[in-house]
Amino acid sequence: MKKIFLRSGLLFLFLVPVASLNAMASGGGVMDRIHDADEPFDSMAIDSAYQLPLKTVRGKEKWQGGQFRVLARKDFINKFRCSVCHTDKKVLVKNAALFTHGDIVMNHGQGDDGLACIQCHDEDNRDFLADSSGKKIDFDHSYQLCGQCHFRQKRDWLGGAHGKRDVYWAGERVIRNCTSCHSPHSPAFKTKMPETYSLPLDQ
Amino acid sequence: MDSRKKEGQMKTIDILEKKTSRRSFMKKLSIAAAAGSAGLVAGGCVGTSESTEEMGLKWEEYFKKNYRMMTPEEKDETVVRLEKLAKLQDGVDIQMSNQEPQEKVLFGYAFNISRCKGYMDCVEACVQENNLDRNSKTQYIRIFEMDSGQQDPTSGDGKYHHEVPVENKYYMGIQCFHCENAPCIRACPTKATWREPDGIVVVDYDWCIGCRYCMAACPFWGRRFNWGKPEVPKEEINTKQHYLGNRKRMKGAMEKCTFCVQRTRQGKLPACADACPTGSRVFGNLLDPDSEIRYVLKHKKVFRFKEELGTDPKFWYFMD
Repeated sequence: MKKIFLRSGLLFLFLVPVASLNAMASGGGVMDRIHDADEPFDSMAIDSAYQLPLKTVRGKEKWQGGQFRVLARKDFINKFRCSVCHTDKKVLVKNAALFTHGDIVMNHGQGDDGLACIQCHDEDNRDFLADSSGKKIDFDHSYQLCGQCHFRQKRDWLGGAHGKRDVYWAGERVIRNCTSCHSPHSPAFKTKMPETYSLPLDQ
Repeated sequence: MDSRKKEGQMKTIDILEKKTSRRSFMKKLSIAAAAGSAGLVAGGCVGTSESTEEMGLKWEEYFKKNYRMMTPEEKDETVVRLEKLAKLQDGVDIQMSNQEPQEKVLFGYAFNISRCKGYMDCVEACVQENNLDRNSKTQYIRIFEMDSGQQDPTSGDGKYHHEVPVENKYYMGIQCFHCENAPCIRACPTKATWREPDGIVVVDYDWCIGCRYCMAACPFWGRRFNWGKPEVPKEEINTKQHYLGNRKRMKGAMEKCTFCVQRTRQGKLPACADACPTGSRVFGNLLDPDSEIRYVLKHKKVFRFKEELGTDPKFWYFMD
């Protein structure tokens, strides 16, 4: 009799740690929960994510969640369409400053690699951009152009680690274009005073 | 003057020395209790201009349950009462929600320390969105200006005010990390704070007794206490509110970042992430393998602040 008790006791000693290990493995730590969640979430089901009152275009590429939309650019360009001025018409001297884009400060590319206009703008049709192979790119899809040098940023932008979504985390994915945040001619962010300030920690 | 003082002293000594029997003590106690409750009832009527409706609402509000114990009907009722009270007391038309968490959603946050420029648009947006006290300048988010190579915000400057970004510095934002294993929740003696199924750690302001144990328990300085009555200019009040979020707080209540529960449960980004001009703030559903936050966790170098404490925060820092 004693032996049976002893044996069952030993068995119990063995079983308890195994059971507790199992409990720990499914213990609901955040990393475990993330690891276990591999089923795509239908974020269109959140019906309070309305369409934005902004002009967007369907992205020409895909992200891990399928298709997405980017903020349109053309409506925000002051002097679009470019071909209105870029014609064979003669230019008056008094309009020269305006017509030669004297207001644009170029600060894109470092040192001797500073960019010139036609490295991004199409030489023949000014209503388009052009990549290094000469392929025409629409202003609304400038990410295709920026991505030829900034391919790391573009990869992260498609995935979601660079740039940002507009207003909603759910619903159809609407993200900002490169030019929504960066000025294409001087893309670095400026230094400025912060929006507000914080009191010292002990107050 | 002197004699009067002495008289007072004599009286107190008298009371202290007088031996009371248990029976007389109980008798006095019951009288005092009766007088007290009468005062509570009468208190509203005498000397104030409160309407009967307001009194009734406040009375019902006083006896409501902890939010987690309420039935859906009771939740709807208290929300309606609070809307009416806001109209009566402050003359503001608010829309309060008690929207429940969505299924299969667990909110998570990532902060890009190599992109943040320290502009603090997030801090200002948070103050506006969450009706934070303007008197004490309460802020849920604090941005630290850090020397490169440092990872501990205590080594940084949390009160900088100069042109940003400064060369060779980086900026690190701290707010509530909504830990899965949150020490603040365990510290609360009245169960006034808990983690919702979508991962947001919330406070029932009406059940908070203001002991500030949670504040002491939080290793991330994530909680804020109302030492005074929080005040927001009437025209700046955000009228879109949630019971567990940005509704009116009272003196002596604890509050904290709620991932903007009033926004995020409707599919919107938190105000800080929406306001960020640099795209340093990534927010999304951790249970969705296609979400942006999951992309960050999978493809970027990430770390969590004080991960070794085992609080399991749902807030990651990452770099490009």
